[in-house]
Amino acid sequence: MIVDVLSPKERLKKTLSGEAVDRPPVICPGGMMNAAIVDVMNKTGHTLPDAHHTSDKMSDLAYDVYENTGFENFGIPFCMTVEAEALGSTINFGSLECEPKIQKEVFPSVNDVTFLPAGTIENCNRAGAVIQAIYLLSEKHPEIPVIGSLTGPISTAASIVDPMTFLKQLRRERELSHQVIDYVTEQLMGYAKLMADNGATAISIADPTATGEILGPKIFEEYAVYYLNKIADAVHELRIPVIVHICGDVRMVKPQLQKLHSEILSVDAIVDLKKLKDELNNTPTMGNISTYLLEFGQPDTVFKQAKHLLSKNIDILAPACGLSTSTPLTNITAFTSAVKEG
Amino acid sequence: MGKTKDELYSAMSGAVVDMDEDLSVQLSREAVETGYDAFEAIDQGLTKGMERAGRLFDEGEYFVPELLMCADALNAGVEILKPNIKTERQEEKHKIVIGVIAGDTHDIGKNLVKLMLSTAGFDVIDLGRDVPPSAFVEHAVKENAKIIMISSLMTTTMDGMADVINLLNEKGIRNKFKVAIGGGPVSRKFADKIGADGYSSNANQAIKMVNELIGR
Repeated sequence: MIVDVLSPKERLKKTLSGEAVDRPPVICPGGMMNAAIVDVMNKTGHTLPDAHHTSDKMSDLAYDVYENTGFENFGIPFCMTVEAEALGSTINFGSLECEPKIQKEVFPSVNDVTFLPAGTIENCNRAGAVIQAIYLLSEKHPEIPVIGSLTGPISTAASIVDPMTFLKQLRRERELSHQVIDYVTEQLMGYAKLMADNGATAISIADPTATGEILGPKIFEEYAVYYLNKIADAVHELRIPVIVHICGDVRMVKPQLQKLHSEILSVDAIVDLKKLKDELNNTPTMGNISTYLLEFGQPDTVFKQAKHLLSKNIDILAPACGLSTSTPLTNITAFTSAVKEG
Repeated sequence: MGKTKDELYSAMSGAVVDMDEDLSVQLSREAVETGYDAFEAIDQGLTKGMERAGRLFDEGEYFVPELLMCADALNAGVEILKPNIKTERQEEKHKIVIGVIAGDTHDIGKNLVKLMLSTAGFDVIDLGRDVPPSAFVEHAVKENAKIIMISSLMTTTMDGMADVINLLNEKGIRNKFKVAIGGGPVSRKFADKIGADGYSSNANQAIKMVNELIGR
C-alpha cells in the first residue's frame, strides 16, 4: 500500500509548475472533457441537464464525479455552451445522456456580430453558477483542485457565427475576424479571471474548432495561438496555470504548438505523446487515453493502456478527448486506479 | 480575349483553385459569350479546379478555409453557366441524403463532405445535425435517394449509425440504398462491423468513395 504524501491539489500544482512529484495526477478537466457520465448520475441522482444551471447542483454533481471516477479534480462546467449562450446563441440543453449543444449560431457572418459590453459572459446566469460552484467546491475541499473549463476563442467565435462562413472569413475578412475573435477573447478573459479569483486551481481551455487539420498552420498561428496566448497571459497575471487542449492530429502545427504559453499541452489519442514531448523540447504533456477505448474496451485493456502511458513519463494522465456519457464507470476507475497505484 | 477553348477552361480551373471568385465569374461569362457549351465549361473548367483543390487538401497544402473559398469560386461560376446548359445535357443527378446523427454538436465535417459532393455534381439533401436514425430512412425513401451518408464526431452517437442500417433491414429496403459513414471516431473497421457500404476518412476521399458506390 502506497500512501500518497501529496494532496491532489499539491500534486497538480507542482506538476503544472514543473516540480517533481511522486506520480502524475490523473484528471478530467470538465468542459469539453466532461466526466459526468450516465453511470455516475444514475448512482447518485444528481443529474444533467439540471446541473448545468445552478451552483448547488453543479457542485454536487462535480463532487459525485470526483468521488466515483477517481479523477483527482473537480471539473466544471459540464459543457461548452456557457460562453456562446451569454454572447447570444441559442442552446439546446440536451438530456441526461446528451450534452448541450449550440442550437443556432446567432450571427450569419462576422459582419453581423453585435459587440456586447465587457463582462457579458461573467454576468450571465450560468457563468455565475459556474463561478459560484468553483467557490463552493474550493472552500469546502481545499485539498482537491478545481479546474475551471473554458471554451477556446476560436470555438466560441464559431459558436456565435455560422462556422462555415466564419472559417472562410478567417482568410477573406481578416481584420473583421480579428475584431470578433478579440472581442470573444476579452469576454473569455474576464470570465477566466473570475474563475481564478474564486478559487480555481487551474484554467483549462479546449478549442476543438482550432485544430491544425481544420485551419492549417498559418491560420492556426495567426488566430488560435495568438488568442489562446492572450487568455493564458491574462490568467497567468493571477498566478494560475493554464491547460490547453488541441484536438485532432497535430502533425501540421508542431512548430506552432511550441509557441503556446500554457503550462501543459493536452492532445488527442491520435498523437504519440512521448514522441510529441521529445519533439517539443520536453514540453509538459497531458493525455491521452483513447475515449473510444474507455467506452468500448475492457477494464483490463484500459488498465494496461494507462500503465503504458505511465511508462512514457507523461506529465498528467487524462482522457484524450470528450468522454462519451455512456462510458462505463468500471473503465474509468480502471484508468484512474492504474495511475494511483503508481 | 483570344483564348482558345482549352486555355479558357484551364484559366477557369485556375480561378477556382486560386479562390478567385471574381475571375471565375468573368471567365464563365466569357465562356457563355463565346458560345462554348456551358455544361462542358463546368465539367472541363470549374470542376477540374475543384478537383485540384481537393488534391491540395489531401496533400496538406489547403485546409478547410481554402477549400470553402474554392467552392465559392466554383459556385459563382456555375451560377453564370447553369442557365445556359442545354436541356438535353441536364442528366439526372444522383441524390444523396446526408446528416449528422442524433446528439452531435459538430457538423463542419459533414458540411465539407456535402460541399465536395455538390461540387462533384451530386444532388445532396442536407438533413442537418442531430438527425434521428428514422429520419435518415424516411427522407431517403421520400427523396428517392441512392445514398445515405451519416456522420458523427463523437463515440456516443455511433450506435445510431447501426440503427439506420437496422431500420432499412427491418423495412426490407436495405438493398435500395448504399449507406456510407464518416467522422472523427469512425473507422473502416467500425463501418464493416455495422455493415455499411462505404467509409471515408475525409471530404475529398468521399467523392471517390461515392463514385465507387454507384459504379461511376
